[in-house]
Amino acid sequence: MMNPVQRFRLGEKEARFRSPFFFFRILLLAFFVLTPFMFRSFEVLDVVLKIIIFSALVASYDVILGYTGIVSLGHVLYFGIGSYFVGIFMGKLGWTSYGHLALAFLIAIVISGILSVLIGLFSLRIRAIFFAMVTLAFMEFTFILSSQLRSITGGDDGISFKLPGILAVDFSYGKLLGIEWTGRLMSYYLILIISVILFLLMLRFVHSPVGRVLQSIRDNEPRSIALGYRTYLFQVIASSFASCVAAVTGGCFAIWVRYVSPDSSLSVPIMLDVLLMVIVGGMGTLYGGIFGAAFLMVTRAFLPKLQIIIASLLPGVPFAIRLSERWLFYFGLLFIIIVYFFPKGIVGTAQEIFSRRKNSQD
Amino acid sequence: MNSPWKRWLPTLIVLAIFLLPLLLISPKTYITLTISGLAMGMLLFLVASGFSLIFGFLSVLNLAHGALFTWGAYIGFTSFSLINQWTGWGGSDSIFLNIIIFLLALIIAGLLVALLGIITERIVIRPVYGSHLFQIFITVGAMIVMEELIRIVWGPNDEVMPVPIKFMGSWDLFDVVVSKYPLIAIVIGLILYLTLFMILRKTKIGTIVRAGVENPEMVQVMGHNIYRYFTGVFAAGSALAAIGGGMWATFVKSIHPAMGGEVIVFALIVAIIGGLGSMTGSVVGALLVGLSYNYVAYLVPKAALGITMLLLVIILSIRPTGLFPEGT
Repeated sequence: MMNPVQRFRLGEKEARFRSPFFFFRILLLAFFVLTPFMFRSFEVLDVVLKIIIFSALVASYDVILGYTGIVSLGHVLYFGIGSYFVGIFMGKLGWTSYGHLALAFLIAIVISGILSVLIGLFSLRIRAIFFAMVTLAFMEFTFILSSQLRSITGGDDGISFKLPGILAVDFSYGKLLGIEWTGRLMSYYLILIISVILFLLMLRFVHSPVGRVLQSIRDNEPRSIALGYRTYLFQVIASSFASCVAAVTGGCFAIWVRYVSPDSSLSVPIMLDVLLMVIVGGMGTLYGGIFGAAFLMVTRAFLPKLQIIIASLLPGVPFAIRLSERWLFYFGLLFIIIVYFFPKGIVGTAQEIFSRRKNSQD
Repeated sequence: MNSPWKRWLPTLIVLAIFLLPLLLISPKTYITLTISGLAMGMLLFLVASGFSLIFGFLSVLNLAHGALFTWGAYIGFTSFSLINQWTGWGGSDSIFLNIIIFLLALIIAGLLVALLGIITERIVIRPVYGSHLFQIFITVGAMIVMEELIRIVWGPNDEVMPVPIKFMGSWDLFDVVVSKYPLIAIVIGLILYLTLFMILRKTKIGTIVRAGVENPEMVQVMGHNIYRYFTGVFAAGSALAAIGGGMWATFVKSIHPAMGGEVIVFALIVAIIGGLGSMTGSVVGALLVGLSYNYVAYLVPKAALGITMLLLVIILSIRPTGLFPEGT
């Protein structure tokens, strides 16, 4: 006798290699692996890598928001912790070795885990909405802390640092397969591997029994309580898991840009980006993060060019130029429009259309 | 669980924060700090009360509140400058004219932002009543749009907030330096608090709103169109935020488009400490935050924000719903 979950799993396993999603995933991975071969310019590589990092970050946020149904407004705090530990170890302390890099990641993960458990323990107790406010307050607090503690974090100027061995800027292996294997490229692949591992971990997490309980809490909390689950503990588990993942993505981000500062890795605007990515992509899908991140990063990369075009088309109209400079304004409108018309985001809407067509065929 | 200890907890905490610093700070400095702390508290109250009322009554976590605050500051700035150009009251030696122009600017800011609040509530927030998740997204969107509109209309740079001439400087009372504006801010804040309190306690509208905080369905059953009250409360909360913005700008003498985001975090903390949906709670919470912030900023400058967070953590762990119950 199988329980419904096992039956569902079996069905999923059988359809694993036949579903279009499978090929889509392979294609996506192939695209990321082959990007350095296809595009030689650094700008493109930079945009693609940021898409990778932010997909992982947004997916980790989605674990809290889309799968558990609680709203955190301070998720970037853990991203910042990850960045800062790599920055402090490599830059301030000058411990540039692989061991210390790994140690920085480890400490960042542990601290993020502990911090998120503490925040969750005292703010999730009453109402889930408190969690949003308290996390926002904590993020703002950490942001100000990081710009004030000049001796540790370098204040507003931040820390720039060197990386060990093959990740260093001046490393070069020589030419292979037609491209030069520099430290940049090594970091690219390292981060890609880490992000894929994180993604698989998160998929495993949301499909595990714990993940199922989380989804049941999201859909009907009183019922999960009635079934005997301590929903509050499960929410804390989800938020601390997601925070640890976010810390790792933060460390990866620091490895890529070789620089940390409060504005680049710990500020409210980054949190807004993550929120926008998650709703553009779609909540509760994990893959939505990739689309959201791609959408935002690509638009942002092209916006300066758009501004130049508008400025040359409408010379001498300061209001129009001002209007075009404020691209954040349109992102704000986008927030509202998406919630109005596509509350499920790109992936959610696509899935809905897909399943509707499938149902009509049956 | 209603042990006497728990009932007296708010008073005890207030007294502790009020009196403990006396051990560490000389009395003269203490008075100066207390006055500026009370002023900061009163300004925070104006922001937090609107926020708290909106959350308590509409159950909407209004993240756009900070942007409404900034709008208030900018409209106050513009109307003050315009009236001053026209009449010159801001630079006049008569304190009476100074106060009139100041109040006029605040009232204009309050009215216009209340209008903005009505528009926001109607267009943006009404479709998402009941879903906290979408409320957060949509109010974040509204916040960004409003903040960017400020940058488009007024430009992205800091502006110097004009201050009526008689509001600057300080009085010297028995060798204690007392700045003028904080005192004025305390008086205005107190008047507004008492007005709000009386409206909520003594009028029919207040009764309905308090009932709505407790149980919105029941209010609807009694035949009141609760959506009309929703809009009204949102407008009132926006007006409070705007008045707070105008006064805050005069306090720090400068305005910039991101000022709302910084203050909204304080407002959040105050509203949580005081208890969401409680006016008295907002006042007490705001005074606690304002006073402790000022004392600690004097003693250990870098820990000032830390004490606010510590206060939040302590109060949330002893009393998870805040110091005062909803609707008081």
